[in-house]
Amino acid sequence: MSDQSKCESCGVHNRKGNLIKLGIALDKIDYVVALAGNPNTGKSTVFNNLTGLRQHTGNWPGKTVTRAVGGLSFGDKQYKLVDLPGTYSLLSTSTEEEIARDFILFGRPDVTVIVVDATRLERNLNLVLQILEITNHAVLCLNLMDEAKRNHIEIDVRSLSKSLGIPVIPTAARQKTGMYDLISAIEEVATGKYIGAPHRVRSMSSKLNHAIEMLSQKLAEEFPGLPNVNWIALRLLEGDQRIIEAVQTRELESFGKALAIHE
Amino acid sequence: MNVKNKEDSILSLANKLRWEVGVDFHDLVIESIYRDASRIARKTVVLKGGKSTYNFDRKLDRILTSPWLGFPIMFLLLAVVFWVTVAGANYPSQLLSALLLNTVHPLLKNFAEGIGVPWWLSGGLVDGAYLSMAWVVSVMLPPMAIFFPLFTLLEDLGYLPRVAFNMDSLFRKAGAHGKQALTLSMGFGCNAAGVIAARIIDSPRERLIAIITNNFSLCNGRWPTQILIATLFIGGAVPAYWAGIVSAGAVVGVAVLGIIFSLAVSWVLSKSILRGEPSAFSLELPPYRPPRILQTLYTSLIDRTIFVLWRAVIFAAPAGVIIWLVANIHVGHSSLAGYFIQWTNPLGLLFGLNGVILLAYIIAIPANEIVIPTILMLTVVTAGLTGVGEGAGVIFQLDTIGDTKKILEAGGWTLMTGINLMLFSLLHNPCSTTIYTIYKETNSLKWTLVSTFLPLAIAFTVCFFVAQLWRLIVL
Amino acid sequence: MPDGANPGLALLVGIGVLIALGLIFWPSRGLVSWWATSWSATQRILVEDSLKFLFDCEYKNLFCSLNTIAGHLNISIDKATRLLDRLVSMGLIALDNDTFHLTDAGQSYALRIIRVHRVWEKYLAEETGVEQEQWHGEADQIEHQMSVEEADRLATQIGNPVFDPHGDPIPSPVGEIPAHTGQSLSSLKEGDIATIVHIEDEPPTIYAQLMALGLYPGMQIYVLDITNGKISFAANGEECVLTSLFASSITVEMLPKEVTVKEKSDLLSSLALGERAEVKGISANCRGRQRRRLMDLGIVPGTMVTAELKSALGDPVAYKILGANIAIRKTQADFIFIKRLAVEP
Repeated sequence: MSDQSKCESCGVHNRKGNLIKLGIALDKIDYVVALAGNPNTGKSTVFNNLTGLRQHTGNWPGKTVTRAVGGLSFGDKQYKLVDLPGTYSLLSTSTEEEIARDFILFGRPDVTVIVVDATRLERNLNLVLQILEITNHAVLCLNLMDEAKRNHIEIDVRSLSKSLGIPVIPTAARQKTGMYDLISAIEEVATGKYIGAPHRVRSMSSKLNHAIEMLSQKLAEEFPGLPNVNWIALRLLEGDQRIIEAVQTRELESFGKALAIHE
Repeated sequence: MNVKNKEDSILSLANKLRWEVGVDFHDLVIESIYRDASRIARKTVVLKGGKSTYNFDRKLDRILTSPWLGFPIMFLLLAVVFWVTVAGANYPSQLLSALLLNTVHPLLKNFAEGIGVPWWLSGGLVDGAYLSMAWVVSVMLPPMAIFFPLFTLLEDLGYLPRVAFNMDSLFRKAGAHGKQALTLSMGFGCNAAGVIAARIIDSPRERLIAIITNNFSLCNGRWPTQILIATLFIGGAVPAYWAGIVSAGAVVGVAVLGIIFSLAVSWVLSKSILRGEPSAFSLELPPYRPPRILQTLYTSLIDRTIFVLWRAVIFAAPAGVIIWLVANIHVGHSSLAGYFIQWTNPLGLLFGLNGVILLAYIIAIPANEIVIPTILMLTVVTAGLTGVGEGAGVIFQLDTIGDTKKILEAGGWTLMTGINLMLFSLLHNPCSTTIYTIYKETNSLKWTLVSTFLPLAIAFTVCFFVAQLWRLIVL
Repeated sequence: MPDGANPGLALLVGIGVLIALGLIFWPSRGLVSWWATSWSATQRILVEDSLKFLFDCEYKNLFCSLNTIAGHLNISIDKATRLLDRLVSMGLIALDNDTFHLTDAGQSYALRIIRVHRVWEKYLAEETGVEQEQWHGEADQIEHQMSVEEADRLATQIGNPVFDPHGDPIPSPVGEIPAHTGQSLSSLKEGDIATIVHIEDEPPTIYAQLMALGLYPGMQIYVLDITNGKISFAANGEECVLTSLFASSITVEMLPKEVTVKEKSDLLSSLALGERAEVKGISANCRGRQRRRLMDLGIVPGTMVTAELKSALGDPVAYKILGANIAIRKTQADFIFIKRLAVEP
């Protein structure tokens, strides 16, 4: 890593030279990055591009069943990349969704990269919005831009980034384009240079909103600094056992603290 | 107020609020998310007119799923895949077998003797472990290295989900998922790979059905057995000019019988022991994408071929040692194999088989590929034939099939034994690689046991009735 | 013949063995399941069933006599009298002025049984493929076998449910239960708008017929007419007519008049190729994993769907939903309500 010293201000303007794929060889970990997304969006291809590993990919939803881990080095920092199973949602209760949900919530990655299919943005936003309910530290990877172009779909990236409150990076992982911008954005969010203000969904039911408010208030008193208090309240209303336990054991307490350091 | 109370009070407040909010707010939450998603998408996505690839996709879909052309195209493509596999694997298989069995094996044997390794050690390792590993590799590797990349290409292209789409109606009637058509086809290559492929079925009940019934897809380790026995006994029972077509027809018939069993057992399972398992159908038809040939070759070779082959080789080595040992450990006048065959022969005959076949299937459970060579070796040893084979415990095959038939007939085989062996080979329990894979995939001892013993029970039942009816009617 | 066995005899024995195995293991009719279900109505089961019934009467403010108890439990009046004596001596019910009511101990006992029953029903509905008609019967057996701890463990696994699939509240582990709300459908007047909150699952014949009409908790109804003891109402745009006996099995909660009545909706399965529609909702009879999966795929009120492609055998049909082609079986499409849109020129 000869260019470590030159890397005073690793950022968008750096040359491609300093992305080093580490495969599974990781000696130290500075940041943990989770890779989430719908099935069949090219998530595994993004993962392979960044780490140099070769996870099986296929034109078939739901290929990645186990959680894959790989590493890369960018600037003077090392990143551990965790490829989560592809899911449509985090609210249902299948095993894959639990794995993904638990990792994003309790594994508290420094950055969560959400890979979406640019040709089906609306469908994919469902999962994106759910993840943004949980974490403030996210990057949207707008993948399959080549296919979108072929189908004459244009996406206003700046407006999308503004609506979602997180960086949005257009990529075409199969052609290996946009990877450098992606890792730069990951770095900015990880180091706290970019502070997101993610979109939060409000329910249409006033009865439900009232219940969420009452519960959030109590939660905020007990666990100050929680970044996703409304979401926690909603999960309690859904009877989510894992969250109930996190309240009982006061696991939630650490959430507010650790994240406060980042900001 | 102490701290403990606060957490509990949050939870009890949550509980109280849950009564008030009512039953179906979960749906409302999801609805709100979709509403926001749609709003954002409308603001940021611009659809420009012009020819999109969707029109091409749509046209292709109309053809590939049409009531007239859908099935012919599917059968044609699958037939091509199988033909290329069988035709293409023939030569490399012979080459590998000539190299590993006829060249390297004697070399190893001589080398072991040269450096003075005791006979029992060189027998166990070289004649046992090495020989069965080499056998598995030479029979298994070439067809898999052709079949899996071809299959993966179809998958990468996006054609396979259309097959599932077309076949779903049939599989739904059997209580299964359309994607089972694919795991079933994959099973023709290798049952272990078919079981792994069942991951694409995300509904628990249908996935279990696909895993348990995959065994009835005649895997490529069993094709040589079927072809050999069909040629020897069924082809041999008709006039010579009919022999080729009749024996080929018999093999295809056995494969089709396997599909029928697969569907029938799926139906019974979904109505009985799997009745209570949850079920949810979903199938997405992804856009067609140009396949990336090199990547496909690489991943299908590494992920499927090498992975499965490695598991098979690992299981074959100890099996080879055991095969050698049972034929070579003598207690009194007879080898262990001899005793076992003597004891189980009446039982085997009851099912239209014999003691040799039962023993061969038990010790060759790691790989179906070595069943026939093991049967030949055991028959030679127990029938006391001389002048053929390579010695006790050394599995072998013969250059001419006429010689093979002579050996088998010396072992008491008839046409009925042949037919029953074919049925048994189709229906019996999966090989140990597959059993292990089933355990890995289901993570459940219960379903692994069901997948192992259900086919075995079916195999014995079918063989029993065929044998007894045969004896009643033909003899 | 080397084996010497007589093939005819062997065949007979073989067939005999198969028949014997069938008799023993045949699902729901074989010896094994017969034996499992028939550990007959013991005294404890009678006690528990009567407590449950008494609690239900008190919860809904219904009058409950010796006769109704005997009728409900299907036992003689004599036996019912002895049973009540037993309950009194166990301290579970108290008698005053010829009426009986549950003691605190009796109430908490009853709530425990009800909790197990409803948690199990919820479990069957959400996590298994067991048919709707069988939930109640299975739960009626399980409630006497399963301990409270086991039920609690099961409840945490399935997301601590607070309502059972019929819309009834599930008592909390410490025996809390919300006050009974709602009224019988038969008490509504013409022009009333209400939501179904509960459909009584006993007696099973009435329940089965209500299910066949497609009614479910959460469904909005609008009362059209009441004449000669028959009530007719619009539910999902379809008109239903029920006698008051049937109507009394349904509990409803009144909605304010200004709520707009839901319009008639079609089923997704009726959409012809090329037609477009807006999703109105998923029937509440589509539950658990199946329902969640459909919603994940975008079947949510407001989403547009277009029937795109029929498979070679006609079922399933692929629909374009949010940019993706999703294959949906007819049995699923029958659960999805839609509103047709005019085809664009």
